[in-house]
Formats: sequence, structure tokens, C-alpha cells
Amino acid sequence: MRRSYLGEFEEVVLLTVAVLAEGAYGVAITDELDRQTGRAVSISAVHAALHRLEEKGMLKSHLGEATAERGGRRKRLFSVTMLGSRTLHDIRAVREQLWGSISPQGLPAVSL
Amino acid sequence: MQNKQPPRWADRLLEAFCAPHLLEEVQGDLYERYLRNERLFGKPYARRQYVREVVGFLKRPFALKRLSNEYASPSFLNPVMLRNYLKTSFRNLTKNKVSSLINLFGLSLGVTACLVIYLITHYELSYDTFHPDQERIYRLVGTEKFNARADERPAGFVPNAVPAAIRNEVAGLGTVAAFHNIESEVLIPEGTEKPKKFEHRDFRKDNPEIIVADPQYFEIFKYQWVAGNPKTALSEPFQVVLSERKAHKYFGNLPLEQILGRQVIYMDSVQVKVSGIVRDWEKPSDFTFTDFISMATVRSSQLKRGIDLDQWDDIWSASQAYVKLPEGAKPEQFDGAFQRFSKAHFPNEFKFVPGLQPLSDLHFNSLYVDNYSRKAHLPTLYGMMGVAVFILLIAAINFINLATAQSVQRSKEVGVRKVLGSSRKGLITQFLSETTLLTLVAVGMAMLLVSPILSAFQSLTPKGLTFELFSLQTLLFLAGVTITTALLAGFYPSLVLSSYLPALTLKGQSALKGGSRGYLRKSLIVFQFTVSLIFIIGTLIVERQLSYIRNKDLGFSTDAIIEVQSGRVGKTDLLMEKFKNLAGVERVSKQWFPPMGMAYMMTKMKYHGKKEIELDVSAKVGDENFIPLYNLRMLAGRNYLKTDSLRELVINESFARRLGFQKPADAVNKLLEFDGKKYPIVGLVADFHEQSFHSRIDPAFIGYLPRQARNIGVKLAVKGQQVGNLKEVLASIEREWKTVHPDKKFAYEFLDDRIASLYEKEQKTSRLVNTATAIAILISCMGLFGLATFTAEQRTKEISVRKVLGASVASIVALLSKDFLKLVLLALLLAAPVAWWAMSEWLNGFAYKVDIEWWIFALAGLLAVGIALLTISFQSIRAALTNPVKSLRSE
Repeated sequence: MRRSYLGEFEEVVLLTVAVLAEGAYGVAITDELDRQTGRAVSISAVHAALHRLEEKGMLKSHLGEATAERGGRRKRLFSVTMLGSRTLHDIRAVREQLWGSISPQGLPAVSL
Repeated sequence: MQNKQPPRWADRLLEAFCAPHLLEEVQGDLYERYLRNERLFGKPYARRQYVREVVGFLKRPFALKRLSNEYASPSFLNPVMLRNYLKTSFRNLTKNKVSSLINLFGLSLGVTACLVIYLITHYELSYDTFHPDQERIYRLVGTEKFNARADERPAGFVPNAVPAAIRNEVAGLGTVAAFHNIESEVLIPEGTEKPKKFEHRDFRKDNPEIIVADPQYFEIFKYQWVAGNPKTALSEPFQVVLSERKAHKYFGNLPLEQILGRQVIYMDSVQVKVSGIVRDWEKPSDFTFTDFISMATVRSSQLKRGIDLDQWDDIWSASQAYVKLPEGAKPEQFDGAFQRFSKAHFPNEFKFVPGLQPLSDLHFNSLYVDNYSRKAHLPTLYGMMGVAVFILLIAAINFINLATAQSVQRSKEVGVRKVLGSSRKGLITQFLSETTLLTLVAVGMAMLLVSPILSAFQSLTPKGLTFELFSLQTLLFLAGVTITTALLAGFYPSLVLSSYLPALTLKGQSALKGGSRGYLRKSLIVFQFTVSLIFIIGTLIVERQLSYIRNKDLGFSTDAIIEVQSGRVGKTDLLMEKFKNLAGVERVSKQWFPPMGMAYMMTKMKYHGKKEIELDVSAKVGDENFIPLYNLRMLAGRNYLKTDSLRELVINESFARRLGFQKPADAVNKLLEFDGKKYPIVGLVADFHEQSFHSRIDPAFIGYLPRQARNIGVKLAVKGQQVGNLKEVLASIEREWKTVHPDKKFAYEFLDDRIASLYEKEQKTSRLVNTATAIAILISCMGLFGLATFTAEQRTKEISVRKVLGASVASIVALLSKDFLKLVLLALLLAAPVAWWAMSEWLNGFAYKVDIEWWIFALAGLLAVGIALLTISFQSIRAALTNPVKSLRSE
């Protein structure tokens, strides 16, 4: 029984926030996504996803210090909430359970 | 650093659209990314990318959605707030009773004036606007020229033979309908009994009723038929169509079907049969006819004596024709055809060129005269509208002035409201609702006042005007007036009030004292008084001109002279003999018309002096008693002797001068040629007025033309006697008249009344200007009074301190009055040139007029200053007399 549904993009963003730990804010997340997944996403898409995740209670945020390179504007720093963490774990558990249940013949071999 | 800026406009766009709580992080992120992009990929790419990102945000709903405020104030249109506004409005209005009453009274007056004027102008402008296809209906008019030397003049009527001919000869003109006005008594046969008789209409009061019309009349003007067949109703001789109301008047409550076929007798002998009944029009129209006799009756009855349908060479105002053009036809396209028509039919001296006058022009164009349409003077209507607007404006200014003056007192209220979270919009709504409330009450008062006012000013308003409160247009107009007035009066004060900063007002300082606001108030007062002064000057000049008209020597006497129509041809001498012997009749004269009046005749006279002079001269016709009866002053020569035909002439001074005599007396004994015969001039009279003062005195002669001299002028010997005596004399004259004409109504007219009727329009103008002046002065003064009250209140402390330090009452009154008087004087400076210009325009319509003298302006100024002083002094004296202790002990 899933408490909350996460879209694929939301899941990736949530994971990225977790990856970045302390320094998770819009631009950093976008860059990290680019680096890790090779997807070029727009900042607005990331912001939209962050906004949704915060509304679902999987992220929390606070405003950081102002930095000169942002024209004196503050960053909003995100971190994963308990709910977010549990949801990620749930997803992972389901995936692993599914992987564990696949017979060797079930998947065509892929050479990595 | 300049270079490292992202595109400014995109930034602005973002700031405008992005929700405020998201803006900082979003803009920060975009900015950071921009810097990186610029470093890595160069400026153009970075800018493009920035714009793309901004647009990306604008497409996302989350970025646009505003955060709802935790302490949100209710919408300013919330019912709770509206109730609150209403409550505070009431409280405020009852708290400031004086200014509320002033505003209420002023606005009521203003709205009433507006409403009355709207009703009048709307009524006049709606004349004949209800006909189907009215834009295709034209009247057949033309220009006439009696002979080669005469002037070409517009005529609102056509020679009798023209309509029928034009119908056949001018192709594509559509429907043509001719009709003739006639005046007649009406007899209704009652079997064996004496027929029921209906008198002539009263020319001064009733509308024309009887016409002889072509059947096409009903194709052009649509009536609703309640009985009879529209197709055949006027096609035969001796048919008449009646209006429903008229049918009931003639035949009582007989069912309409039974009225059909009944007999009606016009002109004593023209017996016709009712062939149709139509419903009366209820909307304002110049076509007030109720009896439509078939045109075919003319040729087969006595009517042909009055109406010669084959006449080409003369023209009568009763002969009318209307045309309904086919769809798409333009009136101009017939010009050529009309010219050809004119050439073909008028080979002789008399020329007539037909033309078309739009139906919408009928009620306003006084160039084309006729017997039935009442002409409204468009400039007067526009002038009245202007007056209405100004009066309402003055009332609104009162409100603005008083409201801004009191705003200081209300600044605390504004402060508290703002602290409690009211938005500026909410405050503006509140103050506007206050004005709206007041305006609504004023409109209510106006609606109550309108009916009594309309009946009081009946002589000024057109006949038939009624106040239909619940007609859609009136209600729309009232709604419009309410909204405009409320906005006009309330907008500025509400802007001022809502702009106060709560921190300042609550600390006890009023944020805006004096400065620009004071100037605005002053200029509004100046404006009010300028308008009032223009009205005052106008009144003075109109009154002066009217008194000049009343008192100027006309060149003849008008006292106790009546004019009596002789009724029938050939009875003049008999009547005269009878009148002459009555006690109380001083003198009797056979005449055509009195020396002055609406009717006059122009003719041509030749003089063979050193060179031949031909002049247009006016003819006055009367027997040898004419000159003594009217007391015309003889300058030289003698009166003409008693004759039975024209033998001798008396001329006026202007005539002699125009003939070239340096000394007018030299003209006596010279010969004048008239109608091919020569007559000697035996006498010379001083110039006398023949027409209203609008036109100059023309050359005129007086002579006895027996055919024209068929009316009787009677001079009554009532000098120093009682009015009752006058009545007695008139009664005895009537008795004598009845012995000659037992069947006719005795009608007479005093010469004074007849002359006064020449200035009916001026009398109306005068009453209008007087009323407008009174209202304007009243409203302005009320405003001034309110302001004076307020200033006196505001300066109580100052006045008290001055008094304690020894100022006299007089000096304090002077102090308080000085400021206002300066404004009134300034208004005088502004009003004088405007009034001077307007009144010279008006006076230019008179050939004999008063000069506009400087003292009129001085007098007007004095009046205004006096009125203003009176208004202010009430308050300033009260302020100056109060005990200083009262206001100084509490601080």
C-alpha cells in the first residue's frame, strides 16, 4: 500500500536532493541531474518538481545565505523529510523485490 | 558589471508575473545560471537561455499562483463591508448636518434642473422620430421667387398643382402625398334635430386638426386602423377618416363600426361620410391631424373655392406635400429633375424650384414655414443643456469643496481603517458610497419635485410634455446622472482621503495641509462664482433689453386699442357704424392690420425724381381715422382725406430719406407710382415700429385700400376709468357684433398683447436665464456658506487668541471675509469677458438694442460681492462673537 505516488521525474529529483545533502538548491540540483543522468532539464521544470514535492511533504526547505554571484539573492535549500525518505525506501524495496523475482530467462541478456 | 546583466525586460516580466514569495529564489537561480552560461558559452547564448527559462517559468502555474495572506482582509465588496460603509455614511452625514444639508439641497436642485431640462430637450428632440422608414420621408419644399426683382426665398409649401404633377413627371420619387390644412367649424347632423356644432379650434392653444389629404398620406405615415378599409378610405369624394379620439368626440360612445358611414359637415356645406377610423399617435408629432378629408372632395364641393388644385402661379402655406423615397434613393439625385420640372412649369414671372426637406428637420428649421409644425429653436435647446450641466457641476463642486475641507477631521478615521487592514480600494469605495447615497437621496427629491416644477413652468415647457418617471429612457438618464454625479463629486475627495498615511494622521498631524489642496478649493470657488456671475450679467442685460423694448417710444400709442375681425366680407361698414355710437368707444378705424404686429405687407413703389428710384416699402392700410387713432405723429403735411379709394398717401420719415430728401418735409406734394398709377404724398409721419425690434424700421406708406381695410381698430375711452368699465365696453361691443353675426364667435385682441407676443421667445429666454441665475447663485452661496462655516470652525483657536490679544470683532470679520472676497473678484474678472461676448451675440439679433455698459459688470460684481459677504458674514460674525474662553480652555 503506497501512501503517495511519485512520478519518475519527481523520484529522480528527490534522490538528487538526497545526493546533494547540504547544498541542494535549484541550480545545483539541475546541474547534478545533468551530470548523473545526462538529462538537460530546464530550471523551471526542476522548480516545479521541487514545489510539488514540498507540497506532498517529501521535501522541506529554508532560505540560505545571500551570495554575490546570485546578485545578492538567497538560495532556497532543500532537504528530504522523513516521509520523503520512507517513500524512497519503499520504492527501492519494491524494485529490489521485483528484481529478485526475475528468473534468469526472464530478461534478455544485456552486455554492460 | 553592466555586461553581466541578463536582459532587463525578461527580468521585469518575471518580476511582474512570478508570485512574490517565489521570486527571490527563482530569480537567484536564473541569475546564477546566466552567469555560468555567459562564462562558458558567451553572452548571446546566455541571454537567449535566460529568456527561455523565464518563459519556462511563466508557463508553470505554480510560479504564478499568489500565496494567500494569512490575515486577508475581506473583499471591499463583501456584504459585511458594504453594510459598514452604509452605516458610516449615515453616521457621517448626520454628524455634519450643515454640510450634508447643503450638499443634499444643492445636489437636489442640480439634479432637478437637469431632469427638467432633459425632459424638455428629450421631448423636443423626439418629435416625429417614431415613423417607420422615417429616414426616407421628406417634405416637398422649395424656393420661390415672385418676380425677376424679388428675392429668392425658401418656402415650406408648394403651389397647389405641383404635387400631382411631380408624381407623374419625376421618375423614381416613390410615394407622393399632398394635403391642405383647413380651418372649419364642424357640424354633426342629428337626424331631425338641430345639428351638433363644434367650434373652430383656439388658434393659440389647440393644434391644427383638419386636413384634406391624398389617399397616399396613409402610405407615408402609418396609422393603426381600427375601422374601415385603408385601401379605399380616401379614394372617393366626400369621405373622411377620423382619429379614434375625434370620432368619440363627435359621436360620443357609439361603437366604432356604427360611426362608419355617419355624416360630418365641414365649412357649412361640405357633407362627408366617415370611411375609416385610425388610432391617435401617442408620441410627440407635428402631425396632430384628426380629420382627414379625401382630396377628391375638393373638386366636387365648396372646398374648391379655397383650394384651387390647378393653381401654378401662387403659393399657400396650407399646401403641403410629403414624399417617401424608394429604398436606396438619395434626395440629391432629384436636383436635376426638379430643375427641369421648374423650367417646364414656371415660364412666367413666378418661379418655383422644388426641393426635399428631411422629416427630421421639420421640427427645427424655421426657414420653411407652414401652418401646423411648432418650431423648436435648436440653439436654445443646446443652451439649456449647457445650463443644466453647469448647474450640476456647481453642485458637485460644493460637495468636493466641503468634503476636502472636512477631510482633516476624518483623517483619524482613515488612519484607523488603514491600520485595521483596509486597502485603498476599500476606502475609495467607502467614500464613493457616501456620495452615491447622497446623490440617490437627491435624485429621489428631484423626482418628487419634477412634477410641481413642470406645472409651475408650463409656459416655458412645450405643450404635451409629461413626466413619465418609469419610462426606460428617463430611468436610464437618472441612473447616468447618479453615477456621473457620484463619481464627479466623490472621486477626488475619496482619492485625497484614502491617500493619508496612517502613521502621520494618527500622530495628530494632517498629512496634507494647505498647499495644493487649498488652491484646488479656491479655484473651484472661483469657477462657481464665474458661472454665477455670467448668469447674473446675462439676467441684467436681458432685463434691460426687455425693459427697453417695453418702454421705447414705438412711434404710436398702444393704450386701450383693440382689433376686431369683421367676420365676413362686406360687414365692416355696418359694424363700424354700430361701434362708433357706443359709449366708451373713442374712435373707430377701418384697417387691415395695426401699425405693429406679425402681419405686414411689402410692395413696390417708384419715385421719378432726378433719377428713378424703386423701393420695397411696407404698406399700412387704414381709413382717414387710422393716423389719429394710433396717434401717429405728423411731421409735415396733413392726413389724407376721407375717400372711397386710394387717392393720397402719407409716408414715414425713413421713406423720405430713402427717396433722397435731406429735409424729409420736402417729400410732401411729390408723386409716387404704385401699381402703375401716380399718387401724391400729402403728409409725413415720424418713424414708427412695424415689426419687433429685431428688424430695422423700413420705408412705409399709409393709405386707404378699401379691399384690404376690412378689419376694425377700436380705441376705447377708458382713460382714468376702472377695469370694470372696460369690461362693460367690451361686452357692449360684443353685443353689437352678435347682432351682425349671431352665429360667430366674437374675437378681439388688445394691441399691447399683440405686440408683447412678438417677444414671446425673449420672455422665455428671460425667465430661463432668471431661473438659472437664481439656482446658480443659490447653490454657489450654499457652498460658500459651508466653507465659511468650516473655516470659522477650524480657526476658532486662532480667533480666540486674536481676541484675547485685543482684536476687534470688525477686524476678525474682515479677516475671515477677505479671502473669499478676493476669489469673488477674481471670478468677476473671468466672467466679464465671457458674459460680454455671449450677450453681444444675443443682442446682435436686435436692430434696436441697449448698449452693454461697464456699470452692468460693476453692478453684477457688487451684487456677487454683496451676496457672498452676506453669506460669509453670518458665520464670521458668529465666530468673532464667541467667547474666547470656551475654545481656549480645553487643549
